[in-house]
Amino acid sequence: MNQLTNHHPASFRDPSGFIYEQDGLVYRFVSTLYQTDYDLLIGSGLADSLVKQKLLLPFIELNENHTHRNDWYKTLQPKQIPFFTYAWEWSFDQLKDAALTTLAVCKNSLQKGMILKDATHTNTQFVDGSAKLIDTLSFEKYEEGEQWVAYRQFCECFLNPLLIATHRGMEVHKLMLAYPDGVPVGLTAQLLPYKTKFNPSVYLHVHLHAKIAGKSVKEGKTKRKVTQKNIEQILQSLLDLIQSLKLPVKKTVWNNYYDETILSESYLTEKKRTVSSLLSTLNYTSVIDLGANEGEFSLLCNREALVVSADFDSDCIDSFYRLIKEQKLKNIVPVVVDLTYPTPGMGWMNKERPALFSRKKFDVCLALALVHHLAIAKNISFAQLAEFFAEICDELIIEFVPKTDPKIEEMLKWREDVFSDYNENELEKAFSPLYSLAQKLPVTGSQRVLYYFQKN
Amino acid sequence: MIHLLYLDPGSGSYLIQVIIAAVLGVIFYFKSGWNWIKSFFVKTPPKTEEEKNESVD
Repeated sequence: MNQLTNHHPASFRDPSGFIYEQDGLVYRFVSTLYQTDYDLLIGSGLADSLVKQKLLLPFIELNENHTHRNDWYKTLQPKQIPFFTYAWEWSFDQLKDAALTTLAVCKNSLQKGMILKDATHTNTQFVDGSAKLIDTLSFEKYEEGEQWVAYRQFCECFLNPLLIATHRGMEVHKLMLAYPDGVPVGLTAQLLPYKTKFNPSVYLHVHLHAKIAGKSVKEGKTKRKVTQKNIEQILQSLLDLIQSLKLPVKKTVWNNYYDETILSESYLTEKKRTVSSLLSTLNYTSVIDLGANEGEFSLLCNREALVVSADFDSDCIDSFYRLIKEQKLKNIVPVVVDLTYPTPGMGWMNKERPALFSRKKFDVCLALALVHHLAIAKNISFAQLAEFFAEICDELIIEFVPKTDPKIEEMLKWREDVFSDYNENELEKAFSPLYSLAQKLPVTGSQRVLYYFQKN
Repeated sequence: MIHLLYLDPGSGSYLIQVIIAAVLGVIFYFKSGWNWIKSFFVKTPPKTEEEKNESVD
């Protein structure tokens, strides 16, 4: 058996097949071990129907064994995913939609005599504006009397964090970062308020589940069998419960940032106009918008280009995600990221789930109303910033906010001003070894300046 | 079953699904019973012409 060197480091758990890369494209190897289930997935029309419903990532079959392994059955070429994101970078609604997709896929599968054997969030990605299952090998034939083997995994990966976020206001991405394989049911039962015990669905799926989870029970000992109808009822109950979950409304410093009176209307219009005309002169296929807020500037980018909109405020990303869903925008991928603590490489050998900024290099980076937060609130020098941008993008549009700006005056009100180097000259000097200044444009209606830099 | 090679569903998982299924079954039973009782007291509005046509299709 040949060992592949380009075998994807995240694809080792399921013996049915694996993902590998060849000539810049991602393929899926399907093993003969999975032959029966694969034939049922295709033959029953399930795969086709799920792809049509936009619940499963489209793929094509290739009759070519790149790997030369003798357990080869099929090679699949899935639609290539432009940018991978993980549950620890998702907002509440993103996790909720990923959960609903997983449940919908499972419900559809049961109707065709199959079931999902895996229900982890890492099997779902946001592609073309909606959450899709990407793991074609997660399906298996359902035999009457069998349980839903991924039930607990589903609860821990989706239901539990969504419930904790709803009742305790914790952000789902932080929960998922702490518990990448899902929030344990026992912990969830302890974290949820007492009143949730009176909600029949929460009681069953969390509180009772926690009580029973640790018990050792042999299948033969229970007289009753789980039937397909039972699993359908469990799925429906999970669907109803998750659909009813909503985040409590709260106002952060960041949502409505651009509506605040401190920044004048003309400033925003002018900034949008300048950025928009600058972008229209550039040739790009990918953009990362850092400090995207509610995505006002991500929306100005070319609709053919991949746009990754990152902000550390999960409420902003959540409302932007709802907007792109409403407007059916397919090119934008919103992520919740704290730039001072970007997602590290995670999982086995730190390679299973790669660090955020190692996933892709972008043509353009937008960093509007961001640099002053990093420089003043986080004490990051201009030289460090230049080094960071040079690692992630070729062209850079950044906004410089001078010390005399009301926002900065507010930031420095209660602390000592130790930022003597914080001015336009120092910024230009710090960026010059890595970037050439192509344009410098003042933003009318403010004292702010927009820089357009090109990498040397 | 391939999945058992690498995914541990948890020993209590089968039992909880049996219990949830039973409870949901009971709820469903009562709900349909309640709807049956309700149907004696709540007059269902007569079908409109459109709905009649739909049911013929």
